Amino acid sequence: MLSLGPVAFAAPWLLLALPALPLLWWLLRVTPPAPRRQVFPPIRLLRDLPVVEQTPARTPWWLLALRMLAAALVVLGLARPVLGPGAGAGVAGGGMPLLVVVDDGWAAAPDWPARMAAAAAAVERAGRDDRRGALLVTAASETGEPPSVSGLMPAEELRARLAALRPKPWPPDRVAALEALRRFRAAHPGGFESLFVADGVEHAAEGAPEGFAPLAAALAAAGPLTLALAEGRAVRRLDPPTAEADRLGVTVRQIPLAVASEAGVLARTGDGRVLARAAVPIPAGAAAGEATLELPLEIRNQVVRLELDEPAGAAGVVLLDERFRRRPVGLLAGGEGSADAHLIGELFYLDRALGPFTEIRRGALEQILARQVAVLVLADRTVPEGREREMLQRWVEEGGTLVRFAGPRLAERQDPLLPVALRAGERQLGGALSWEQPQRLAPFPDHSPFAGLPVPAEVTVERQVLAEPSPRLAERSWARLADGTPLVTAEPRGAGRVVLFHVTANADWSNLPLSGLFVDMLQRLVALSAGVRGAEGEQPLAPLETLDGFGRLGPVPPAAAAVAANRIDGTAASPRHPPGWYGSAGQGEGGEAAYRRALNLTAGLPPLRAAPPPAGAAILPIGGIPAERDLGPWLLAAAFLILALDMLISLVLRGLLPAAASRRAARAGATTAAVLLLATLAAAAVLPPAAQAQRGPAPEGAAALATRLAYVATGDSAVDEIVRTGLLGLSDYVNRRTAAALAEPVAVVPGRDDLSFYPLLYWAVTPEAPQPDARAVEALNAFMRHGGIILFDTRTEGSGEGFAPGARAALRRVTRDLTVPPLAPVPEDHVLKRAFYLLSELPGRFAGGTVWVARDVDRANDSVSPVIIGGHDWVGAWAVDQRGNNPYAAIPGGARQRTLAYRFGVNLVMYALTGNYKGDQVHVPAILERLGN
Amino acid sequence: MSAAASRAATRAEALGAALPPLVVAAERVAATVMQGVHGRRRAGTGDAFWQFRPFVQGDPSSRVDWRQSAKSDRLFVRETEWEAAQTVALWREPGESMRWRSHLAAVTKRERADLLLLALAALLLRGGERVRLLPSPGRRSFAGRGALVPLAEALARHEAPAEDAAIPRHARAVLFGDFLVPLEEVGRTVASLAARPVRGHLVQVLDPAEETLPYAGRIRFEGPAAPEEPVLVPRVEGVRALYAERLAHHRAGLAAIAAGVGWSFAVHHTDQPPEAALLALWLALAPQ
Repeated sequence: MLSLGPVAFAAPWLLLALPALPLLWWLLRVTPPAPRRQVFPPIRLLRDLPVVEQTPARTPWWLLALRMLAAALVVLGLARPVLGPGAGAGVAGGGMPLLVVVDDGWAAAPDWPARMAAAAAAVERAGRDDRRGALLVTAASETGEPPSVSGLMPAEELRARLAALRPKPWPPDRVAALEALRRFRAAHPGGFESLFVADGVEHAAEGAPEGFAPLAAALAAAGPLTLALAEGRAVRRLDPPTAEADRLGVTVRQIPLAVASEAGVLARTGDGRVLARAAVPIPAGAAAGEATLELPLEIRNQVVRLELDEPAGAAGVVLLDERFRRRPVGLLAGGEGSADAHLIGELFYLDRALGPFTEIRRGALEQILARQVAVLVLADRTVPEGREREMLQRWVEEGGTLVRFAGPRLAERQDPLLPVALRAGERQLGGALSWEQPQRLAPFPDHSPFAGLPVPAEVTVERQVLAEPSPRLAERSWARLADGTPLVTAEPRGAGRVVLFHVTANADWSNLPLSGLFVDMLQRLVALSAGVRGAEGEQPLAPLETLDGFGRLGPVPPAAAAVAANRIDGTAASPRHPPGWYGSAGQGEGGEAAYRRALNLTAGLPPLRAAPPPAGAAILPIGGIPAERDLGPWLLAAAFLILALDMLISLVLRGLLPAAASRRAARAGATTAAVLLLATLAAAAVLPPAAQAQRGPAPEGAAALATRLAYVATGDSAVDEIVRTGLLGLSDYVNRRTAAALAEPVAVVPGRDDLSFYPLLYWAVTPEAPQPDARAVEALNAFMRHGGIILFDTRTEGSGEGFAPGARAALRRVTRDLTVPPLAPVPEDHVLKRAFYLLSELPGRFAGGTVWVARDVDRANDSVSPVIIGGHDWVGAWAVDQRGNNPYAAIPGGARQRTLAYRFGVNLVMYALTGNYKGDQVHVPAILERLGN
Repeated sequence: MSAAASRAATRAEALGAALPPLVVAAERVAATVMQGVHGRRRAGTGDAFWQFRPFVQGDPSSRVDWRQSAKSDRLFVRETEWEAAQTVALWREPGESMRWRSHLAAVTKRERADLLLLALAALLLRGGERVRLLPSPGRRSFAGRGALVPLAEALARHEAPAEDAAIPRHARAVLFGDFLVPLEEVGRTVASLAARPVRGHLVQVLDPAEETLPYAGRIRFEGPAAPEEPVLVPRVEGVRALYAERLAHHRAGLAAIAAGVGWSFAVHHTDQPPEAALLALWLALAPQ
């Protein structure tokens, strides 16, 4: 080892090559650069030219200097220069073995590389002096083994051991380390030098035996002790937050510092995105700082992890489990079936309002309560005496929040699961039979959880159920109408509470569900609920994912064991229970654990206390001082760079890299770049108008202004024209004969056009009709589900048999993916035959075939069949040309058949517009008979 | 017929199409025997009417012009004007030197010289003259417009110096080449042709790089043929002016050789359009 000021050489004998550099100089100078070769026919003219100006046949001096520099750098680099040898160690021992003691608990993680560098420097120095060493880590290993001192080993081996060390996500056990040290002293009675890389924190709880001072004292007793400490660095940790209605309160603790500082807390989602950051100011000398993370509930539900924005290891990470997350809400309606109907269903608005920020559960009461729900909403549902009421009562008293909405059923039958006693019947405000006007809302009282929400002026209540006056009514009222009658009442029951909205959950009784206030009120209610309550039993929660010492989630170490669900809150992090996610895997939907709880390191830690260094120990600061640095690779890299530059220069000197060529290349590159840029700009300039054009006002806006028939564009212009003229003729006929006013029919493409404006879709199925694509199928199914009627006409039935061969196969193809209900021939008493005219058959241009409608089994859509399938070519019969003639002859023919065809058309339109309104026509014969008798 | 020769002939034809047919001025009428389009102002074999003369004893009866004779009592014989064609011998310098091109030109000197030669031949053939290569393989000369393609094929195989004992006297010769050989060689060739006597033209086809020496730096120049000893020029930009001077001197020598025997001399560069050179040749060959 040759030391020259701050630089030492590990292989100094290689420096002997430096005096050989002048030889290299001479060699380089005598070798001129190789000439370029060029074929040139008039070579004779070039012979015997007098020397006018000689190119330097020798290399220019600056190029020589460059090459010499490269050679010198290579020699120096191979001599293994080291910058600042031994700077980081500070351990000067005389032949004694070196014991390296490393704190590898959570507090060591933030500056772990600097700690390892300090330890490695000491080991390196010991290795140069041929001293042996041993290693003692103070935290229990991942497998749960207590700390122990390794045997004495050469420095190389010790360095490998050091490199394999990782900080642990639990506190060190210095008492056990002291015990291990005593055993080591007993086995090796001789003195040794020690380096203690300490984290500066006393991890023992108040009152428990201290760990740091005795261990340091024991080391000092054995020989010279050097204490490596990170002075001036705050040891920080993030405690589990406190959840409030609309915010998370975070606390950052640290060992008090003399200056004020600030910590940042990041809220992250499961996939690592940062949703919010809270700055936590920590005053000078304070041990903790607090701040709040204000997040809307929808956003907060996505947060699964809070962490300090500085490297803080496992102590800077808090996992948020289901207690902080989306609250499950159960929805239960009074009436079966119609609860989900669009715009009028009892659960429609609740579903829309709660869906974005809660997890909604539906089903029977037993199913809902079998899993955990925070809030249960009953919309106009009475709770009959018996098992259901018992289950609900028990659930509320265990902490559930029961929210009920009034309605006609509740007004009739009351039950004890209400916050106030109700008067029978409801109160109607406004309307034909009332003098009173619909009531507005009064501002929310201060004790109400809704306090502070703005009250929109347009919210009015037309009907409500009334509470019996009682002395406690005022305190139980969370919202009132302007005249003082309660609108929302609540009463605590056991650990839970019961809340009653005195209006319905749909827009029947008030327009509250239509307003944004409804959403805000429900959010407050859900935030108020106690979270998931109930059965946290003895069932073991297996570790799913655990944090390592740096605060990264990873696979579970083998020694980790399950924790009982009801004891997870009191469990301190240890090798047996490392911090991380615990739960029952593989039961939930979407691969996520059905139920998981977080075990946070900081939840089980005692308050932070500083561990003062013992008097007399040498202090070695960690970090700040550069460790030994090997300069060799850098010098070699510089030499290679210089050689590459030299090669470029040589190429230029020999003319092999003509300036014109490089200029040309540059110009070509610039041209390409410019063309690309222009193309991009042009695309950007051209695209927006196109995009805007697509976003322009949709033609459906006009379509909604009038009722009109629609037909599916078949793509065959002749057929489309027949259908259009047919529907035009039918629209005229209907306008003349009935009160309906139909506008001109329109062609639609399912999946592209909005179908919701049309009561009836006429679909002439041509033999070559393609199968509709997925979007079209979806649109058509939605159309039928929401009350639309599709008339499929194959135009090849009865007397028209054979007019369009293959149309039936096409019909099968077209309807393959549609949800067509079970079909039956039109019965004699079907509304389709009674809606306007009394018809016994349904002829079109053809007659005699069978017309199919949905079998009358389900009462959805008022028993209106979503499809009518036939092949009578009705549009052919209805078609009217410009002169008012009917261009297509009816088969077998006759004015009567065409009249009947028009009458069927009128019935069809009436059926589409009024549904089963004329269904009672079915009973007319019976009524007449009774009247006659 | 090879496709390449056919293509070359087509290009040459297209090039010559812009100019009128070339009728080479032929002074020495008596010495040339080939029939062509040059009227000789005397009766002989030809197509154009010359005169009627009275029938004399010994004339074959088939030569009597019966229509003219029927107008009077005497018999007349119809005589046509004696017409003769000029022979133009064409030569393109062979050798590797001609097969070279620099980065400044799109074609080699040989390709350009071939094109000019064939275009000239096309013009001549359209004018009714006879064209032959110098030396002509099998002493063949070409006539008629269809002869261009065989000429192109013969030219592709042509690798001989410009020496031909069989060239007709008073023929014309056009020599294409870079003429970078020593002046004495060119002078010997021209002198032997001029002694026939043959009048001619020298067209020096040069690459632009040979004119400007556009290289820089340290370059080892090598000859196009293998045995040539390379020349190492340490700094080419330094000798450019000297080279230009030498080239001008060489060209002056060529012009002097041509002028000495009454020939003309022209220079063509391969980066220039061939039409200009062809027009200059046409002007030099056409009768004043």
